[in-house]
Amino acid sequence: MQPSISYATPEPPPDDRLSHRRESPLPTRLARTGQLADRSRAAVLEMIYRAGSGHVGSSLSCVDIISVLRFDQMNWSATRSRSESDVFILSKGHAAPAWYASLMVGGDLGPEEVGTLRQIDSRLQGHPDRTRLDLVDLSTGALGQGLSVAVGRAQAKRLRGRGDFVYCLAGDGELQEGQIWEAVTVAGARRLANVVLVVDHNGSQNDGLLSEIMPLAGLAERFRAFEWHVQDVNGHSHLSLMDALANARDNQAQPSVVIARTRKGHLGPGRIALNGSHSATLTTEEYESAMRYLEGRRDESHP
Amino acid sequence: MKATRDWFGESLADLAAEHEDIVVVNCDLASATKTAAFRARFPHRFFEVGIAEANAVGVAAGLAQEGFRPFVASFGHFLTGKYLEIFQSVGLNDAGVVLVGTHAGLAIGKDGPTQMGLRDVALMRTLPNVEILHPVDGVETREMMRHVVGHRRPTYLRLCRQPQREVHDPRHRFVPGAPDVLHAGRDVVVFSMGGTVGVVLDALDTLAARGITPTVVNVSSLPVDAAALGDIVDAHRRVFVIEDHYVRGGLADEVARIVLDRGHRVAFRAWGVPDYGQAGDPRDLYARYRLDRDGVVHHLTSFADADLATAPR
Repeated sequence: MQPSISYATPEPPPDDRLSHRRESPLPTRLARTGQLADRSRAAVLEMIYRAGSGHVGSSLSCVDIISVLRFDQMNWSATRSRSESDVFILSKGHAAPAWYASLMVGGDLGPEEVGTLRQIDSRLQGHPDRTRLDLVDLSTGALGQGLSVAVGRAQAKRLRGRGDFVYCLAGDGELQEGQIWEAVTVAGARRLANVVLVVDHNGSQNDGLLSEIMPLAGLAERFRAFEWHVQDVNGHSHLSLMDALANARDNQAQPSVVIARTRKGHLGPGRIALNGSHSATLTTEEYESAMRYLEGRRDESHP
Repeated sequence: MKATRDWFGESLADLAAEHEDIVVVNCDLASATKTAAFRARFPHRFFEVGIAEANAVGVAAGLAQEGFRPFVASFGHFLTGKYLEIFQSVGLNDAGVVLVGTHAGLAIGKDGPTQMGLRDVALMRTLPNVEILHPVDGVETREMMRHVVGHRRPTYLRLCRQPQREVHDPRHRFVPGAPDVLHAGRDVVVFSMGGTVGVVLDALDTLAARGITPTVVNVSSLPVDAAALGDIVDAHRRVFVIEDHYVRGGLADEVARIVLDRGHRVAFRAWGVPDYGQAGDPRDLYARYRLDRDGVVHHLTSFADADLATAPR
C-alpha cells in the first residue's frame, strides 16, 4: 500500500538551526517539530514495513527526541564538517530508522531510499554504518560505545576552542554496558560541558522489562555522583525536551544527561505500535492502522 | 640496544613538535608504553582515561573523527582485547586511530600470559582497513612513525619490550607492505617480524657452519605485498615462518595464504607459541618455546634434513 501520509518535507527546514531557535516564536517551533516528528514516524513505519525487519518499538520511542534535536536544537548540517558543527551519535544503533527518517524528512536523504533499509548494497544498513552513509556521524550497533566517542569528540572540540555540542542518544538498557560508565567517569572528571547524553528511557529491552532484567536503580543519583547535570523529563513532550536541552547547554560546568521518559512504539498520545515490542515486525494491518492514525493526527493536531 | 617501545616514545615526542594534530589517549601506562615523554612536553594534548581500554578506543575514535591523529598506547594484549570496540568505533568508522600495542610476545616474562601480547596480530589481521606495523629496530621504528603521521588510516603498531639489535643502516627507508630482505641465502627462506628477526640473524653463523644459508625476510607490515613476497618464495624450496605470537592467526597464516594462493611448490613450516604461554624469565621462556637462537638452529636444521618428497605437491 502507498503511504497516505507523506514524510517528505515540502520545504526543507532552514539550514542554520541556531538562528531558527533564536528567531521563531515557541508555538511555531513546537508546531513544526510536532509535524516533522509525525512525518518521521511515518517514514520509520514505511521503512521497517517494507524491509520486513527492524526495531519498530525502539525507533519510535526516540523519534520525538531526535526530531527536537535534529529540527530545533542541534546546529547540524549535512553539508558542513562535523568539526565545525554539532555532532549526533546514535549509540542505540538499532534505532537507525529513526535517524534515517529525520534525514528524509529534513531533505538530506532522498525519499526514494525509503525502500532500501536493510537491503543488500544499501546505504541504509540495519545499524548505522558511516563507511556507507556519511550522514551518520558514527557507526554503531554493538551497544555501549557511543558515549566514549562523544567524549573524544568533545575533547577535540575543547582543544580547538570550539563551542559545538556533542549529543549522544543511548537506550536505557544500553546503560547496562560497563563502557558507558567509563565514559561517564571521564566526562564528569574532565567537566566536559559540551557533552549532552539523552537516555531514551522506555523501560524495556530485548528480553522484556528493564525492571525485571537488570533495573537501573537510582539512575539520576548515579549520574550526579559522577558530577553530571541531571534532568528527568517526559521524552515525548517537545516543550520539555527543548527546555532540558537548552538548560544542558546553559550549564557550562558539567556534562549533562537528559533522562527522557518514553514508551516503546510511541505513535502519539495513548497510541503505541506492536504493544511496545522491541523488534517484532509489523503486519500489513498494523502498518496500515498506524499510518491511518498518523494521518488523522495530521488533520487534528497540525492543521 | 634499545627496545622499540623506547624508540617509539622518543619519536612520538619529537614528531608531535611538528605535527600539532598528534594527541595521546592513555590508560595508566604512560611509563610502560613510553608516552610519558610526550606527556611531559605536550600535557594539553595528553588525555588520561584511566584503566579503561574500551573507553580509550572510543575516545580516540572521536578525536580522530575531529581531525586529530590519536595514539592509544597500552599493552597489546589489553588493547586488542577490546576487539569489538576496535572493530566498530575504529574499523567500521574508518577512524584514523593509531593503536599502539606494547609488550608483544613472551618478553614480558614473569608477569605471565595475562599480560602477553600473543594473539594481537591475529585479531588485527581480520580488520580489512587496519595497517599492522611491527618494527624490527630503532631505524625502522622512526621510519614507521614518520609514515604513520603522514596518513589517516587505522593502524596497529606492535612494539616489543626487550632491547633489540639494530639491523638497518640509518639510511634505510620503510616501504609499507614491502618484504624487507635482510640477508640473501638459498634453499630456505625465513619470514619473521619484530624481535624474532634479530634472533634469526643471530643464528646465521651457527647455521652457516652446518651448511644452511637461509634468506631472512623482515615482514614488518601487514598486509604484505603478496606479489613481492611470492617472488621471494619462488626462489626457494622451503618456507619457514617463525614468530613471537600464537602459531595460529599471525604471520604464518598471512604467508601461508599467499603461498597457497600462488600455487607455489614448496615445503612450508611455521613455528610460534602453541599454547597460552606462561610466566618465567624471558630467556627461559624463549628457550622453552624454542624461539631463541638455538631454537631457530634446531628448526632450520631439521627442516633442511626433511625429505621434500613428502612435502605436499
